[in-house]
Amino acid sequence: MAYEALDFFDIDSLLTEEERMVRDMVRDWVEERVLPNIEDACRDGVFPDEWRAEIGEMGILGAPLEGYGCPGLSYIAYGLICQELERGDSGVRSFASVQGSLAMYPIWDFGSEEQKEKYLPGMAKGDLVGCFGLTEPDYGSNPGDMITRAEDKGDHFLLNGAKMWITNGTIADLAVVWAKLDGEIRGFIVEKDDEGFSAPEMKGKHSLKASVTSELVFQDCKIPKDRILPDVKGLRGPFSCLNNARYGISWGAVGAAQSCFNSAREYALSRIQFGHPIASFQLVQNKLSWMLREITKGQLLAYHIGKKKDDGSWIPEQISLAKMNNVDMALEIARMSRDIHGANGILDEYPVMRHMANLESVKTYEGTHDIHNLILGRHITGIQSFTREP
Amino acid sequence: MNITVISESSNGSLHPVTAQLVGAASSLGGSITVICPGGIGSSDAAHISGVTKVISVEGDCFENYDCSAWSESLSPLAEGDLLLSSSSTIGRELISSIAASKGIPVVQDVTSLTGGLLATRSIYSGKAIEEVSISPPCAISLRANSFESAGEGGRGEVSTVNVSQDVAVAVKQALAKASERLDVSEADIVISGGRGMGEPANFSHLNEVADLLGAAVGASRAAVDTWEEIPHSMQVGQTGKTVTPNLYIAVGISGAIQHLAGMRSSKFILAINKDPEAPIFGVADYGVVSTWEEALPVLKEQLAEMLSN
Amino acid sequence: MGVAVLLKQVPDTTAKISISGGRVDEASITKWSISPYDEYALENAIKLKESGFGDVVAITCGPSRSAKCLTEAAAVGADRLIHIISESPLDSIQVQSLLSAAVKESGCEVVMCGKQAADTNSGSTGPGLAASLGFSCVGGATEVSMDGGVASATRLGPSGMEEVEVGVPCVFTFDKGDSELRRPNVRGIMMAKKKPIDIFAPDDLGVDVSNSMVSIKSHSSPPEKQPGQKFVGSDSIPQVVSKLREEANVI
Repeated sequence: MAYEALDFFDIDSLLTEEERMVRDMVRDWVEERVLPNIEDACRDGVFPDEWRAEIGEMGILGAPLEGYGCPGLSYIAYGLICQELERGDSGVRSFASVQGSLAMYPIWDFGSEEQKEKYLPGMAKGDLVGCFGLTEPDYGSNPGDMITRAEDKGDHFLLNGAKMWITNGTIADLAVVWAKLDGEIRGFIVEKDDEGFSAPEMKGKHSLKASVTSELVFQDCKIPKDRILPDVKGLRGPFSCLNNARYGISWGAVGAAQSCFNSAREYALSRIQFGHPIASFQLVQNKLSWMLREITKGQLLAYHIGKKKDDGSWIPEQISLAKMNNVDMALEIARMSRDIHGANGILDEYPVMRHMANLESVKTYEGTHDIHNLILGRHITGIQSFTREP
Repeated sequence: MNITVISESSNGSLHPVTAQLVGAASSLGGSITVICPGGIGSSDAAHISGVTKVISVEGDCFENYDCSAWSESLSPLAEGDLLLSSSSTIGRELISSIAASKGIPVVQDVTSLTGGLLATRSIYSGKAIEEVSISPPCAISLRANSFESAGEGGRGEVSTVNVSQDVAVAVKQALAKASERLDVSEADIVISGGRGMGEPANFSHLNEVADLLGAAVGASRAAVDTWEEIPHSMQVGQTGKTVTPNLYIAVGISGAIQHLAGMRSSKFILAINKDPEAPIFGVADYGVVSTWEEALPVLKEQLAEMLSN
Repeated sequence: MGVAVLLKQVPDTTAKISISGGRVDEASITKWSISPYDEYALENAIKLKESGFGDVVAITCGPSRSAKCLTEAAAVGADRLIHIISESPLDSIQVQSLLSAAVKESGCEVVMCGKQAADTNSGSTGPGLAASLGFSCVGGATEVSMDGGVASATRLGPSGMEEVEVGVPCVFTFDKGDSELRRPNVRGIMMAKKKPIDIFAPDDLGVDVSNSMVSIKSHSSPPEKQPGQKFVGSDSIPQVVSKLREEANVI
């Protein structure tokens, strides 16, 4: 069946020719290379290395970054890339989000000139894979109290601690690790062969199975002094990265929702019960109509925040709204789509339950749904309600 | 109207489509000249009812097909107001080449033609039908089996012309026929087997029908999952390939929704299944309730007979 | 030196075709693409360029929306882009005259195109163009390489796949081969954006397209499919087979 990406309010007409060509390039790649192989990749629990190489060849990694071999595309283009990748699978989009927004971006914005020259060109090509070490086993929504620490030993830094839930960790050539130096959060570039560093893979996931998720373990990990990111201190560093990734996710969720909607619509038109296609039943039409409304709203949100990213007029709370809304609606759409598929929906013949399982992770990572909710609550009222502090 | 028909040959004799071209020409009225490249079938052509003249064009360049050489040889001899050929690969190439040399327009793969001239053909791979009016002088290729054949009893006058055109394209070597079959997504005809085939070795019967038709062989997911010998590349369906051939023959396939997703847009569907309630009959244009063991030998025999005529 | 590649923009082969007022409703076509066989011609042309044969000149003849084909060709490596503007349908003589003039303007002696376009499915342009230019013609090629002034091509001949040799100038029409079509990348897309397109009106090429002996009378949807016919027993097969030929015309 030919893929028809739902575009009820004609977002396509708002795109530049370049943005459309980039989107179509990624869409075709997903169609040809990801969709025929994704169910096997999920069953085997692997992220195929060929995809890393082909994504690199397309030149879409670090999409909105300029210079050092980076693509220099608009944020709208970056969003479209995420949308098309995630229509394929959230795990594939996670690879690109982590590489671009969480690993390349901090080097690009906070790194020294030498660091940018050393890492960015290879990362843009996909030859060097990066990951982002912020979350810890006991510090997820509360990264500020992290216990991974760095000590200045004169001619090197010594890192101790552990990070968890790190996409790309086991396959990464480098990790941008956030640790406390003298109580203050700083960014450090750890390379895979650094002494005292290991990145075991986390197995047994029911979600994002075609993605590598790892722990990063630092046991007296020695890194040279020139690996510290000089230009950033405190949570501002990791949060800037997360804002970029969250922006991409707001588009990615639309892609997953479009895939689930498409599958539900086609299934409903083909599945005959009581002598009629189920698409003719009112309750099914109600569900499809709700999906169409939510996807359309989500697209408009994503597009508008993309324009604001491009002209610099955005605030982080707007990104929180877009990420939270779009992922939430996508997860509901995945569930509803599975429902429309009936029993067939549990088979990997159809993508819906895979998207459903993936979106559970997407709803939790990059700021949980509840945390973004409270970010908005604080914005509305001026009162933070994250903690019990007076 | 003077009509020139470029005859079609196969295996050293006149191809039956030639009589269909003459039949189409006859219904328009006028004199009909048949040109035979390489002289093949010229005496048979003369016996087609309605043929006035046959020009047997002979020369070394007709040993193998060569578009430019054949076109340059035939063009000066094709003097009619209307030029007709079949819409086979060679027929189309030749007629477009000759039409271009003469500066006349060509319309290809026409399925109906009436005085005026009004021609009908399908466009967008069959998604629409186009009716065009064309004023002679012009060239038209006709689709095989769309026009009534002219009968026998003609007494055309045969003349021979010798030509000595140079052949531009030299054939260096024939390449061994690829042992791999046509891919299901490429073929005009696909014959697929399901778990109802009983065992993978029985796919050989499907291969035989496929060989007759120049078809690709596909399989349902059930067959691919059950038997290692049936590779995933043959799978048609939700997680296999989506195919849109002119004819899809489903043998021993029940027609689960996942399989239908891959082949329901085929132009015509023939289903053979021993279960009269099998869902595949819901989408089949022609359904035969029968075991494949009984049906396939008869199918093979009928097709062999039809195609050899 | 250099290869001219003829690209035709057609409705994407997955697009729905709807009829309105006796004509195909072009406004309702959601996606336009380079005709699939033309893509194989383009891929082979780029390969020739990579082997040092010369520049690739991409040529399209059609309305303004056809320019997209040229940008897509530039994104994978086409060097020069020529757009012959024609807003209305053209007959075979008109198309071939325009393309012929453009090929002459480009100075290319090797021309590549698809064996037939996905809209008309005719296949007249390649051989017709060859005849009017006085070029040789190899149809159904899947691979073409050049050595000096001699081309070697793999093509589907009357008796199967064969390797042929032909001198230039020559037109090659392409069938789907084993070559994978290369994907554009971001760098190609961004450079393609900046590439100028040489636009020609028919008058600029000295071609008069005001008259045609061919005119479209109407478009209609294919006849509704007859309801399915069910037969019992293998004895019915001879009847079914003859229906496949007489009714369905699929064998």
